[in-house]
Amino acid sequence: MQFLTPPSRKRRAEAEAEAGTSAGTSGAAASPVSDRRIVLYEQREAVPFQVPRASFGPSDQLMCTYHCRQMVKSEFFVALDTAEKENAEYKARLAALNEQLYKIEEEREKYRDEASFLQQELAASKARENSLQERFLKEVDNSEERYRDQLRCISELEFEIKKEMDSRAAAEQFTETLKETVRELQTKLESLSDSSDREINSLRRELSYVQDESKFSSSKVTAELERTTLRAESAEEEAELLNEQLIGLKEQLDECLTQKGEIEHNHSSSNISPSNASSDDDKKMIKLLQEELHNYEKEVQEARKLKSSQLNSELLKEKLLEEQSRRERAELELSKLHELQVKAQKLELELTSWKSLLNDIPDIGSYSDIPKKFAELQKEALENMAKLGEITAQLKEIKVAMEYADLSKQRAETECMLAKEKVESSSLEVKRLQLMLASVTEERDRLRKDSSASNKDAGPSDDSRVEELEAALNDKEQMMKEMESSLQEHREMIAHQHAELKLFNDRLADESKKVKSLERESDRLRHEVALLESKLGHGDYSSSNTKVLRMVHTLAVENEAKQTIEALQAELKRTTERLQAVEELKGQFDAALPEKLVQLKNQIAVLEKREERYKAVFAEKISVFRKACCSLFGYKIVMDDQKRPNGIPVTRFTLQSIYAQSDDEKLEFEYESGSMNIVMNDYTSQTDIAHQIEIFTRKMNSIPAFTANLTVECFNRRTLC
Amino acid sequence: MASRTVSKDIITLRGSAAIVSEFFGYAANSILYNRGIYPEESFSKVKKYGLTLLLTQDDGVKSFISGLTSQLSEWLEAGKLQRVVLVIMSKATSEVLERWNFNIETDAEVVEKGVIKEKSDKEIMREIQAIMRQIASCITYLPCLDEACVFDVLAYTDKDTTVPMAWVESDAKLINNPQMVKLHSFDTKIHKVDTIVSYKNDEWEDEE
Repeated sequence: MQFLTPPSRKRRAEAEAEAGTSAGTSGAAASPVSDRRIVLYEQREAVPFQVPRASFGPSDQLMCTYHCRQMVKSEFFVALDTAEKENAEYKARLAALNEQLYKIEEEREKYRDEASFLQQELAASKARENSLQERFLKEVDNSEERYRDQLRCISELEFEIKKEMDSRAAAEQFTETLKETVRELQTKLESLSDSSDREINSLRRELSYVQDESKFSSSKVTAELERTTLRAESAEEEAELLNEQLIGLKEQLDECLTQKGEIEHNHSSSNISPSNASSDDDKKMIKLLQEELHNYEKEVQEARKLKSSQLNSELLKEKLLEEQSRRERAELELSKLHELQVKAQKLELELTSWKSLLNDIPDIGSYSDIPKKFAELQKEALENMAKLGEITAQLKEIKVAMEYADLSKQRAETECMLAKEKVESSSLEVKRLQLMLASVTEERDRLRKDSSASNKDAGPSDDSRVEELEAALNDKEQMMKEMESSLQEHREMIAHQHAELKLFNDRLADESKKVKSLERESDRLRHEVALLESKLGHGDYSSSNTKVLRMVHTLAVENEAKQTIEALQAELKRTTERLQAVEELKGQFDAALPEKLVQLKNQIAVLEKREERYKAVFAEKISVFRKACCSLFGYKIVMDDQKRPNGIPVTRFTLQSIYAQSDDEKLEFEYESGSMNIVMNDYTSQTDIAHQIEIFTRKMNSIPAFTANLTVECFNRRTLC
Repeated sequence: MASRTVSKDIITLRGSAAIVSEFFGYAANSILYNRGIYPEESFSKVKKYGLTLLLTQDDGVKSFISGLTSQLSEWLEAGKLQRVVLVIMSKATSEVLERWNFNIETDAEVVEKGVIKEKSDKEIMREIQAIMRQIASCITYLPCLDEACVFDVLAYTDKDTTVPMAWVESDAKLINNPQMVKLHSFDTKIHKVDTIVSYKNDEWEDEE
């Protein structure tokens, strides 16, 4: 079958073919009226078509045209049907697409709204993030500033810690040197204690020797005193005897002299009548008188010797007095010895205390080193005081810095807490934003997919909007990423700050420990300083560096010398006065000695006679009194003075009734300081007598009643018997 | 309003030594009066350090203290004096009852190099005045000296110091278990003087 188609149809067909090829990709069926142009055949006739006639002949052309027309008609109708179908399909599709488009537009609007909401939220989140960033930046700046301040404080604290460490090392070295010196002093102390023990032993021996010597001297003195007293007494007795003899001899001498005078007188009177016979008698008498004179002269010499012996006795008395004074001095010295012993005991106690002190203080070997050690310790104490002052000042500064660091730490911790909270809140917001972003991206993808599906139907304007939205979303994503990166940086910074805070806390703990140890050292140093101050105030010093001087002529010595001089002068005056008085007395005594002796003797004789007379009279009177008392009261009273064991004198009266039936019936009373007390004996311990004593003396307090009652009873017993 | 300027006076070693030795003389007199070592009628009033102080008129004590202060001044100028102690002892038993300890710290640089220091005289006088007031008020806490007492002065010098003719080495005349009271100190920038009084524990205080 040959087709005879007009050229326009071919053209149409070619165009349709081209259109079909161009729409082939869309899958639409190639149709001659795909471009929706119906070319009628009639019009085709008007349109000169140029059919390529090369292939056809003229007759064929007419046949062809009818067939062609029919074919064309059928084909047209088919094509029309198909076109109409396709049209209907397209219309349906168009309607669907329109619906889709409407939906898409609705969705687009929704998405626009959502996008605007998102944009608003993004703007709000941006603002919040900006504010957060600003806050973070401020906080970071503040934390940086604090960090720098803390770094500065730490550097200062490190510097101070280094200083303290250096001072501590120096103090440790110093303590080591002190320990070494203390050890040396200990060895010296031991040697000193040994020497002191030896000295003490020697002192004790000397003390015992001195005691023995003093005892011996005191015993010697007492023996001498006794001897001298005895000698003095014997000398006195001898002197008295000699004085009596002297007196007798003097009397005899006087008588002899008177006789001699008489004889001479007689001799002279007898010379007038000389006679040979009496001359021999006179010569004999003269010889006798001369012999008697000679004897009297001898007696006078003896009397003079007696006088000298009396003087010697007086001298002995004085010597006795001196010996007594020496004895008193010896007793004083003994008392002083006791005091010395007490002092020695005190010294021993001091020595033991020193020893204990030496034991307590290390590095002391001898007592002489103690002052050195004390002086050294004093100097060390002064140095330590200065160091202590510095250390206390440093401690105070450290405390202030510590407090400041604590405050800053607390502030940093609170700020860290706040920052953490903010970070957490921002992280939560970030997560929320991320979730939103994810959801937005999902929707975007879906939209993209939908938009790509509807891109062909929709038009170029939607693409631009979507692209804009995508660009905005990309921008937001970038911003979110930047925010996340900044958040991570902030987190890193916060973690770093936390680590630094931990380091600061650790350093603070170390510094607090150091501060406590320094406080302990300062307390110890204060205690040492107090001890050294006490030693300084005590007056100790180092004999290696220091010596103690005083003036030779002190006021005390001068005063003592003056006083001793004055005392000696006073004693000298007194002794001179005594000497003068003694010399005067001696002169007077020498002149009037015998007369005084005679007078005194006569007085003594008179007084003795008087005493004897009084005694005799008293004895008579007392015997009369006793007898009268006995006869009046019926009791013989015997009075006896006694002394109790405690030395109190007591007068004992022993009463015996005249009506007593035996000698055992005696009452005994004791009189002491105005009170009379009955003494129990065998007689008074009898029941009757004891009962009477109980009633009359104890209850009624009347001894006369008791004695009267007893007298009556005895009388009754006697008379009845 | 005119501003107050603190005027400072130049102090040399000799001047500081004179100030310290003079202070010691007046302090010794004040102690002797306040502790009743010598009768009140033997003292006369003088004005010094802005106070009315008492100086003894006893020739012996005067000459003793004047000789003492002159020697102390010499030692201070040489930088040899470490401490001066006024000791009060019982006349009867020679027991040490009180020790007035004046500790002296000398600036070695001044002694060696002759450096001059600056300090206001008024400030020094004020410090000395405070010490004198404290000495006068010591009767409130020091135990009564019921018995007759005498005093002596000890000088703690460097070991290499030559001992003058009128001086002799002595023991430190210490008190056993003393009570101590620290008084104020004064500083001339060349010599710093600290005062401590240590006294024998009263028996009544021990019983308490």
